[in-house]
Amino acid sequence: MLIYLLRRIASAVSVIVVTLVASFGLFFVAPTDPAGVICGQRCTPERYADISASLNLDEPVVQQVGEYLKGLVAGRTYHSGGLTIDCDAPCLGYSYTLGQPVTKLIGQALPVTVSIVLGGAVVYLAVGILAGVVAARRRGTYLDRIMVGTSLGINAVPYFVLALLVALYATFLPHAGYHPLLENPLTWAVGLLAAWLTLGVANAAAYTRYARASMIETLGEDYIRTARAKGISERRVVYRHGLRAAVTPIATIFGLDLAFQLTGAIFTEAMFGLPGLGVLTLRAFNQYDLPVLMAGVLIGSVVLVAMNLLVDILYTILDPRVRLG
Amino acid sequence: MEPMVTEPRALPAGDPDDQVENTASAAAPIRTLSKSPTRIALGRLRRDKVAMICAIICAIYVLIAIFAPVLARLEGQNPTDLHQSLIDEFGYPTIGPTGEHWFGVEPRLGRDLFARWVYGARPSLIVAGAVTAITTAVGVVVGLVAGFSGGWVDRVLSWLIDLVLSLPYLLFAIASSAVLVAIFGGAEGAAPEAVARIRFISLICVLAFFGWASLARLVRGQVLSLREREFVSAARVLGIPTRQVLFKELLPNLVAPIVVSVSLALPGYVVAEAGLTVLGAGLIEPTPSWGLTISAATTYYRADPLYLWLPVLGITILVLALSLLGDAVRDAFDPRTRR
Repeated sequence: MLIYLLRRIASAVSVIVVTLVASFGLFFVAPTDPAGVICGQRCTPERYADISASLNLDEPVVQQVGEYLKGLVAGRTYHSGGLTIDCDAPCLGYSYTLGQPVTKLIGQALPVTVSIVLGGAVVYLAVGILAGVVAARRRGTYLDRIMVGTSLGINAVPYFVLALLVALYATFLPHAGYHPLLENPLTWAVGLLAAWLTLGVANAAAYTRYARASMIETLGEDYIRTARAKGISERRVVYRHGLRAAVTPIATIFGLDLAFQLTGAIFTEAMFGLPGLGVLTLRAFNQYDLPVLMAGVLIGSVVLVAMNLLVDILYTILDPRVRLG
Repeated sequence: MEPMVTEPRALPAGDPDDQVENTASAAAPIRTLSKSPTRIALGRLRRDKVAMICAIICAIYVLIAIFAPVLARLEGQNPTDLHQSLIDEFGYPTIGPTGEHWFGVEPRLGRDLFARWVYGARPSLIVAGAVTAITTAVGVVVGLVAGFSGGWVDRVLSWLIDLVLSLPYLLFAIASSAVLVAIFGGAEGAAPEAVARIRFISLICVLAFFGWASLARLVRGQVLSLREREFVSAARVLGIPTRQVLFKELLPNLVAPIVVSVSLALPGYVVAEAGLTVLGAGLIEPTPSWGLTISAATTYYRADPLYLWLPVLGITILVLALSLLGDAVRDAFDPRTRR
């Protein structure tokens, strides 16, 4: 177990390091002239040189990567137009277009994304698993066929179209907006309701099918027949004996989905105007704000890799039949 | 001596059709017409009504894309002419659908909507088709090589596959298209057409870069088990060169997973193209694209619903047809997944 764990962690770290170096190479070494973009249209040569120096663009590449890594661990200071900006560790750079350290921007955006994704997950897990179990129990009936057909149909509609139409036409839902949870939990929930429902319904379609398939397989097992033969009530057989075994494969899919959504909630954020990680990256793309772009990609990679690792480890705990190779 | 190399094809286990054929030929030595798994799957697909309807819809889209100039000329318009006389002082069009402009005109610029709609089918299908072709070719070759050669080649390629699969795809797509545009001459003062063309190519590159890995992993897994089979050992003993073993012996056994992956990938890339374009990180003006029209039309969705709904329906019906067709193809090749 320990060796397996160490090997997985080593490979996860290697992925993150390569992402760091590759994105650094992509953003700062490619002929992209970040200083010129930051400086803007009316740029004096002095200001250009000043920005170049503060971004360390005049130094060799290896040293730039070193500075960036040092900033991550120990923090660094930026000098811009006579101003000195302290960027505490972990420092991911400084956004010149917004005039704020990137860490702070990410710190504001990440709770929004996490709120959207977790709230949506509650909706689609509840709806999807319940609908899947009902469909599995009434397998072959009209109800089952309608549910499977609906889920196929919803699944085939592009997600951004669904989010756009809800954002434009579902005016009966409360206006979307982000208010921090700790300030007022009620306004937090009300502001995110539309996003949760959209994300929830779209994903519930897929989870209905996973749950249905998994439940049908489980209900065919011998121990379920034994449980029924013992005279246990049908409800207890289905929900206590059946569902508990049927959710294990769903848990794996859920873990991977959650990781993907944390880095890909961008459509939900953009359509409902919620300032999360995706919207931050999108704004950075439009303004060519390289430090923010790079930090967005990095944070996304770390989240994804960490979630994948967590899912793998949890899976071995959830399902004792899995042997570690 | 005649080399006895019969080509064993991997029959899907538990397929009722094949079992019937096998038992029939074992009982009576009459030579029945033997079909390849691909032929059997195509036969199943042809009997699937939903699949056939979806296939027809997809074919109509392809025809619209190919004959877009003809359709526009039939209407007597083209997608770039500005009809400012049909726009009032607030930017709203003064006409709805008419005999001259079948779907009306765009707010603000007054370009013909029908012409832009038919031309809009092109980028969707070209991007999705090109990306699917590239990712399939790269994924199959990488998967074959990694699975067959083993050793450090496999380890390097597998690590690469894992790396690509563990990158945050959407964030990276947005970030790297910014850089690609800067590298390929997003120079200031470049013509909008030239920049639009660069964005078009960079979108294909970005989507292709993130798309090949999942198929490569799938193919590698299949090859790992296939390469231990007797027909591969036989081919090697006969001294057939590796390239021929890969593409003549192994590839025919991988047709089913590859076809299924292609048919499920196509709608995904149509959505990816339109989605990134709506976000502003995909195609840009003056390319006529459904995604661009949708993002422009959101401001006018009350005043001019047709402007928004035409591209929305265009994308949705295409994706719906492609996805249902993809599901049907998967069911036809692997009857175990059938509902």
